[in-house]
Amino acid sequence: MKKLTAAIIGVTLGLSQGVAVAEPADWSAIEAKEITLFFPGISPMEWITGKIRIDRARHGGARPFAQGDTCIDCHGQEVAEMGAKIASGETLEPDPLAGRPGSIPLNVQAAHDGSNLYMRFSWTQPAAAGGDKADAENPVKLAFMLDAGKVETADQSGCWASCHADSRTMPEGDAGKTKYVKDGSVAAGVFYDLVQWRSGSNGGYAGHVADQRVLEASDTVVASGSQDGDTWSVVIQRPLAGGEADIALEAGKAYNVGFAIHNEHTEGRFHHVSLGYKLGIDADGDITAKKF
Amino acid sequence: MSDQRTSRLKGLLKLLRSPTSKFSLGSLLIVGFAAGIIFWGGFNTVMEWTNTEKFCISCHEMENNVYKEYQHTIHYSNRTGVRAVCSDCHVPQAWGPKMIRKIQASREVWGKITGTINTPEKFEAKRLTLARREWNRMMKNDSLECRNCHDFVSMDKEVQSPRAKRMHERAVADGMTCIQCHQGIAHQLPDDMTDDDYLD
Repeated sequence: MKKLTAAIIGVTLGLSQGVAVAEPADWSAIEAKEITLFFPGISPMEWITGKIRIDRARHGGARPFAQGDTCIDCHGQEVAEMGAKIASGETLEPDPLAGRPGSIPLNVQAAHDGSNLYMRFSWTQPAAAGGDKADAENPVKLAFMLDAGKVETADQSGCWASCHADSRTMPEGDAGKTKYVKDGSVAAGVFYDLVQWRSGSNGGYAGHVADQRVLEASDTVVASGSQDGDTWSVVIQRPLAGGEADIALEAGKAYNVGFAIHNEHTEGRFHHVSLGYKLGIDADGDITAKKF
Repeated sequence: MSDQRTSRLKGLLKLLRSPTSKFSLGSLLIVGFAAGIIFWGGFNTVMEWTNTEKFCISCHEMENNVYKEYQHTIHYSNRTGVRAVCSDCHVPQAWGPKMIRKIQASREVWGKITGTINTPEKFEAKRLTLARREWNRMMKNDSLECRNCHDFVSMDKEVQSPRAKRMHERAVADGMTCIQCHQGIAHQLPDDMTDDDYLD
């Protein structure tokens, strides 16, 4: 009887291990990278590449971008200033909101255990600016996009290649058009892998951005967040291998990554975003997920 | 011409061609020399006066449009207090090219008289044409007026912002000239610029 009881307890424990988030026990041992997210205003790829003008000016970086520079190459040390300039309405923002933060510093940690990628995000909730509650259910959302080198210019711009002048919430945008990438196709592997956490449901969402953005509640992406005072802490677990329309993450490789926070019930273009970085799985990158 | 005027002219010519019986050669030379200095000095003083900001903005077309725009820019007010006025960018410093520019500028006097840009609407309609003239001039002379004060060799790139340092190194490597990236440095860019108007 005792052996049977022990066996039942053992099996139950074993089963629950597989389902629960087996994140690192001690996140403080894992190196954090501070990435500044900034308010991007109206800065679609068409402007970045110099095809259109906004506020009479062309993006001075169009030429270096065409020559292969990454956004970080020129802007890496002035992200907060850029965000402040845009959020104030000085440039690239036709509809500024007083009090909207120009930037949000985000701490990013990453690790993997051979089966899953674990990402932990931590940031301070900025002071409220008020404004429309476009997404009434979710005070905050956090997302990241991954690319395996297939999306054009993702290696320079992170997730910016999904941002276009004709997408919804842009001034010239079509309300029915989501984010998309040039020549986007799941079959051809040309897409961003999209992972999101929403504070309303406190759950994980997964999808992709190919010729359009697809995002649904997920049972493979496990995400959970909490707020302690004004500090948010969110952990997202994603299987390394992924499934269909996911990017398979392999040890020894680095992937293009960009981060975004939709602060204060915002939607669409009103997020704070990062420039493009590299996430390495046991490989060099701006952020490295080491096996623990 | 009437007979009276013809004979007066002939008389004057005869006077100019005759040697003087009253004045010494030395005094003629000294007086001539002094008069020449006064004339030359006066000529150049007037030339320089037409190079002053006050002179340029005495035309409301300039004061109400491009001058107001320039007042918000770094060439008007900056950390080191070095100001570039109209002539610093729009008139060559060397005497020969300066004289050529001054002669060309008589077209502007005509424009003032006939009021080609004397209302905001007329000015905006002509802004692109005027801007293109300046861009073409600067492309042809390798941004000469910029280089009166600035030059790549004198730049301490280590104290520039990382972005500026990168762009200037790139410009030197690609053989670019200042105006290619710095269009709109002092005045608003025209709204109706075409793709070809962008020089970078």
